[in-house]
Amino acid sequence: MWQYEKTLQYPVNIKNPNPALAKVIISQLGGPDGEVGAAMRYLSQRYSAPCREVQGILTDIGTEELAHIEMVSAILYQLTRNLSMKEIQESGFDTYFVDHTTGIYPQAASGMPFSASTIQSTGDPLADLHEDLAAEQKARLTYDNILRLVDDPDVRDPIKFLREREIVHFQRFGEGLRKVQDMLDSKNFYAFNPAFDKPKKK
Amino acid sequence: MMHESEKQKLLRKLQAARFAVHDASLYLDSHPTCQEGLKYFREKREDCEKLTKKYEETYGPLTASASCAEEYWDWVCTAFPWERGES
Repeated sequence: MWQYEKTLQYPVNIKNPNPALAKVIISQLGGPDGEVGAAMRYLSQRYSAPCREVQGILTDIGTEELAHIEMVSAILYQLTRNLSMKEIQESGFDTYFVDHTTGIYPQAASGMPFSASTIQSTGDPLADLHEDLAAEQKARLTYDNILRLVDDPDVRDPIKFLREREIVHFQRFGEGLRKVQDMLDSKNFYAFNPAFDKPKKK
Repeated sequence: MMHESEKQKLLRKLQAARFAVHDASLYLDSHPTCQEGLKYFREKREDCEKLTKKYEETYGPLTASASCAEEYWDWVCTAFPWERGES
């Protein structure tokens, strides 16, 4: 069960609207390594996690990703307020505007709508945890690319916070992976699915 | 129907109280000045607080932040609710 809290995990206060930035930052909402995918990935995978520590990691990180959806959305919302038609046309935001006005829609910077084909839930905790480690790295490098494109400190500050969280999550998933491996016979690492294939009875 | 343990009986009461608070919240979102609705919400919230306290003291935390955090992290010592018999 979930409950909403009326506060962002980290503050977002952007003085100057900038639709061109919104056009690239939107990838961290609904893009291939964005926050919508992250939340759906972890909250879907946790049912095949083999121990409570990893169930807890997936639940708690998945929940934090929901809060990151809200932070990225707040950045997009503030970057696209009070726009003139001239600003919309000249910034290249017009291709988004025609379908969504200034509404928040989960899509990649390329315009591709969010797709569950960007995530996996394999039912195999070792495969899933490796995907999760890769996902955190991919999200971190996307934030790095965003930071290369953004000068405004009001935008950089919450983006830097989100980038740091990817690093912390990578660490926690690494610990989760180690935990699952410690539960297994090392000769069988990756040879079978510990959540589905049971060892043969003697 | 599975036989209900004491834990499950308490959980049923808690779920009912939490659902009442949630459903009253939805109603109040569109009726923010309804005095009867506000009174109902306050009563159910009080039930909820008492039942949550009782449940967590006996059976462990419902949220990570309610962990007693003494000696060990009990958030990962109790079952998650998707296991049969745990909801």
